[in-house]
Amino acid sequence: MTDPDAEAGAAASDSRFRKTLTQVLIVQVLALTFLGLLQLIYAA
Amino acid sequence: MHWINWAIVVVYVAYVVIDGIRKSKDTDTIAGYFAANKSLSWWVVGLSVMATQLSAVTMIGTTGQGATDGLRFVQIYFGLPLAMVILGVTIVPMLHGSGVFTAYEYLERRFDSKTRSFTAFLFLLSRGMSVGTIMAAPGVVFSAIFGIPLVWAVALIGVPTVIYTMVGGVQAVAWADVKQMVLIVVALVAIMAVLLIQMPINPHDALTIAGSTGRLETFDFSFNLNETYTFWSGLLGGTFLMLSYFGTDQSQVQRFLTARSVTEARSSLLMSAYWKIPLQALVLLVGVGVFVYYQFVQPPLLFNPTHEAAVSAERGAAYQALEEEYSSVFNLREAAAVGVADGDNEADVAAAMETFLAREADIQVIRGEALAMAEEVTGESSRDVNYIIPRFVLSELPIGLAGLFIAGVIAAAMSSIAAELNSLATTTVIDFYRRWVKPEADDAHYLRVSRGATALWGVFACFVAVYAATLGSLIEVVNRFGSFFYGSILGVFLLAMIPRARSNGAFAGLITGMAVVGYFNFMTDVAYLWQNVIGAVVVVTVGLVLSGSGGEQAKA
Repeated sequence: MTDPDAEAGAAASDSRFRKTLTQVLIVQVLALTFLGLLQLIYAA
Repeated sequence: MHWINWAIVVVYVAYVVIDGIRKSKDTDTIAGYFAANKSLSWWVVGLSVMATQLSAVTMIGTTGQGATDGLRFVQIYFGLPLAMVILGVTIVPMLHGSGVFTAYEYLERRFDSKTRSFTAFLFLLSRGMSVGTIMAAPGVVFSAIFGIPLVWAVALIGVPTVIYTMVGGVQAVAWADVKQMVLIVVALVAIMAVLLIQMPINPHDALTIAGSTGRLETFDFSFNLNETYTFWSGLLGGTFLMLSYFGTDQSQVQRFLTARSVTEARSSLLMSAYWKIPLQALVLLVGVGVFVYYQFVQPPLLFNPTHEAAVSAERGAAYQALEEEYSSVFNLREAAAVGVADGDNEADVAAAMETFLAREADIQVIRGEALAMAEEVTGESSRDVNYIIPRFVLSELPIGLAGLFIAGVIAAAMSSIAAELNSLATTTVIDFYRRWVKPEADDAHYLRVSRGATALWGVFACFVAVYAATLGSLIEVVNRFGSFFYGSILGVFLLAMIPRARSNGAFAGLITGMAVVGYFNFMTDVAYLWQNVIGAVVVVTVGLVLSGSGGEQAKA
């Protein structure tokens, strides 16, 4: 017999983890885009 | 240095020591002293993780590298976010949930005592050498800049650090790291703000000048195993380096073992995943900014004041002639830089840029002659990358801000050294003393031994610092030492996660991994970042092959 509370807790934890991963990805993409633009615009 | 700057430094160091000693409550058990009773919040642990990794070598070496080489060093961190995510779902729950005090203690549960002891020994060897190296970096620079004996400069950093680490254990280290990380970021932002305000040209023109000399080329997509910093070596080699450093090196593992829960331990590592690349880019951009600033304000020909004085004394006439030539070419280059910034049309700007690059090449030749002269006179390596930013700070920053930056360098040094000393003592006591010498003593006994071990490792670190001072680019040295062992140690922990791996296979794999990395290190030009991958792959492959072929049973 499954425990609905435990399942709900695990699902919430997965959802928080995916949200955090998305945030990490966004920040890295922004940082790398900034560095990439510097290179594209100004590099010799 | 002005007395106000000294006052800021002294007040800061005193505050960290006093605050660290205050944190010694709840450290009368080994659970409190080594693991803070697993009571720390994710943000305390997260800042401690970041402060441990960001040493004085970053504050003075990496900024200097930004000034001379530009942004490409940031590629080494491209694998870090991925590594943190992987660790969060693998090693963190494995170690945090097992109740161990050290990463190597876990290896005995999974494999056997010889694997534990050998891996712990490798940690003591590599971390013991590196703690002296990261103490040497600011020590050497402070000794030259302030004109004080090296042993005093090393003591300025080492003695307060040993005191609060010895008395307060991991709690003192973690809470001191929080304050130190704040100071480090404030100091970096302040220096960048001053650069932007004092730069005689606008940011667009500053970036144009920096870009023309290749300093804004972050990404190198070439697949060249001999090239140290490329996108691929950073993404692949860097991932393995960061997996090993943050997941298996006791100086970092001990950080997340203090977290309240596995979730908070994961969150603490994710803080680095978020912020390491932007922070590292800021560090390098500070260096790039100083390079541009020095197109308009003449810097010294030699940045190391000790070498400068020695060359002036021994080769007075020749050095003076070189300085005059340097001044003359500097003025021409400055005029060209102004032409790039103020050119009326594209043709004028292009002509000014051509002149600028030609004069920049001339400057590099003159600098090369001066550095060669310094090497002949002093008999030491004349590489002065680590002196660029400290000289800039002390001569160009307003009073007060210079003290803030110097305090930031000391903070960066103390945070890394404290974590390393604490972890060295922990491994010494838990993996060797308690395991092999005196397994049945009480906590009070182990705490006395731990405090003594911290003090001894501190003395050892100071000793190494005084004699390691002649090493070249210290940040590369620290990373090269690490890459010799890290990949292989990571391989052992990867094997620990594979159910069919056996003790003898893991041990043989570790030895083989180190031998193969040793071959690549000494006999080839393969960049050190790739050696982390090589070590890990060899250990896992050999470990699994030998585990599958023998009759050894799994541990119950």
